[in-house]
This record gives sequence, structure tokens and C-alpha cells, in this order.
Amino acid sequence: MFTVYRFLLYLYPPAYRSEFGEEMLAVFCAAQTEAWKNDTLVRSRFCAREIKGLVVGALSEHVRTVAGFDRPPVFFSRRIAMRSEFRFPKVTVTLMTIILAGVVLAIEKATAIQASVPDSYQHVGPIQPARFTFLPTMLVIMGGACLAGAIGWAILFALHRSGLHRLAEFDPASHQGSGGRTHA
Amino acid sequence: MESLSVTEPVLLILLSLADRPRHGYAILQDVQDMSDSRVVLSTGTLYGALRRLLDGAWIERVEEEDTPRGRQSYRLTARGRRNLQLEVSRLKHLTRVATLRVARKET
Repeated sequence: MFTVYRFLLYLYPPAYRSEFGEEMLAVFCAAQTEAWKNDTLVRSRFCAREIKGLVVGALSEHVRTVAGFDRPPVFFSRRIAMRSEFRFPKVTVTLMTIILAGVVLAIEKATAIQASVPDSYQHVGPIQPARFTFLPTMLVIMGGACLAGAIGWAILFALHRSGLHRLAEFDPASHQGSGGRTHA
Repeated sequence: MESLSVTEPVLLILLSLADRPRHGYAILQDVQDMSDSRVVLSTGTLYGALRRLLDGAWIERVEEEDTPRGRQSYRLTARGRRNLQLEVSRLKHLTRVATLRVARKET
């Protein structure tokens, strides 16, 4: 992980790296020593957090170098981080894995059936597969599944951020007589 | 408040440096302790924030001889302390208003 971290530091602009690189490496070593005392899950989270922090940080520094400001103002609009308690259900990952396994098994079965059928229908002619297309098909399926998952997650995330789910808790009776004026 | 937006991680970093100078790893641990492990900073996020705070002269390096780079300490400047106090006042006001509004809803 240390080697990966040192490599990822090269994503930063040289000036930033020369000012903070050595210090960041030293702090990372201390943090890694602490994280490595825990189980694999904690270590994995630590690695993911560090890699994400470096990539986002390096991108921000390059934006600052090129554009002259730290980040687009939209990213600084949330002065207080409102953390949603909504979490994408982990059972979906299991479900998608099962579905994917089902698709793979179906393809394998179909291939076996195709191979077991004798080429007796001369008037049709034998079916000659042009080439083995299992891997490209799987890549397309996995890509499609990832895309669909990302779109679904984005829709759920946008709906949740909009506060739409709170409409179910809205009680019109309790708001009668309070007036309809709002102030920005 | 002067030019630099105080996000939650930045506020926690400033609070960490409010009582005494700290080095990078000590800031990471202190932020985690203060937020009950809700905010865990990566080194990339920490040093991005420290760089912005240094550029804005909200913090400064503590010059010490024979200090390795990993033990480089930071402390609040007068400007940083003033801005931190402003931010805390803003949050106090917001908390007071929020408490009143929530109490009004419950009664």
C-alpha cells in the first residue's frame, strides 16, 4: 500500500508534492500502522479512503493550478454537511450477483445443448459458431448491469436528497392556519 | 468570514488547532475523536485543507529545529482564530434558532 500511495502522490502537481509529499507519506505511514492493527474490513476502508482522498485531492490541486480557484463553488455550497441516513441496500449486490450467476449458467447450458444436438438437419445446415463470444458477452452484460445500477442509485440518491420521502410524514392538518408564506 | 468556506472537516481541523499546535497525524486522530469517528479524514483531504488554510493565512507552520517533515506542526493564526470564533458564533445562533423551531413543532 505504501508503494501505491507513493506512486499516487505523483498525481499531484510537482510544487504541491515538493511542499507536502514527504509529510503526507510520513502521516500515511503512521495512519497505516494504526489501521493495520484492525481486521481486513477496516484496512480495506482505510485503503479506499486514502486512494479516494489522493485522487480527489490531486484533481482539486490541478484545477486550482489551471483555473486559479480551489473547486467550483457548487462544491462549497454545503457549509454544514447534512448526512443522510439512507444507505443503498447491500442485499441488492447479492441479488445482482445471483442474477448474474443465473445468466452465466443459462449461457453455459445453452452452449452445452447446442453442442449435444447432432447436425442431422441437412436441409438447414449445421450451425457453425463463428467464434467463441463468451467473454465479450459477459463484459457487455456486466457493463450494462453496472450502468443500470449506477443510474438506479443516482435516481434514488437524487430523490432522497430532494426530501421527497418526507412527504409521507407530512401532516396537512397540523399546518393549517400557519399561513403559507415562506421567507428565503 | 473571509473568502474561505468552512466545511465540516475544515471546522474540525480548526477546532483541533484551537487549543494547541498539532502535527498532521495528531490532527487526523483529534478530528476522528471529536466527531465520534463520524468524520475520518484521509491524508489527501487533510493536506488539501491545510494547504488552503495556509494560503488563506488561517494557520501557520510552527518553526522548530530538527523536526522531521512528518512531525511538522501547525497552529492557528490570529486571523484563523478570529474566523473560527465567527463560525462558532454562527453555529450557536443556528443551533439556538433550530432548537426553538423544533420545540415549537413539538408543543
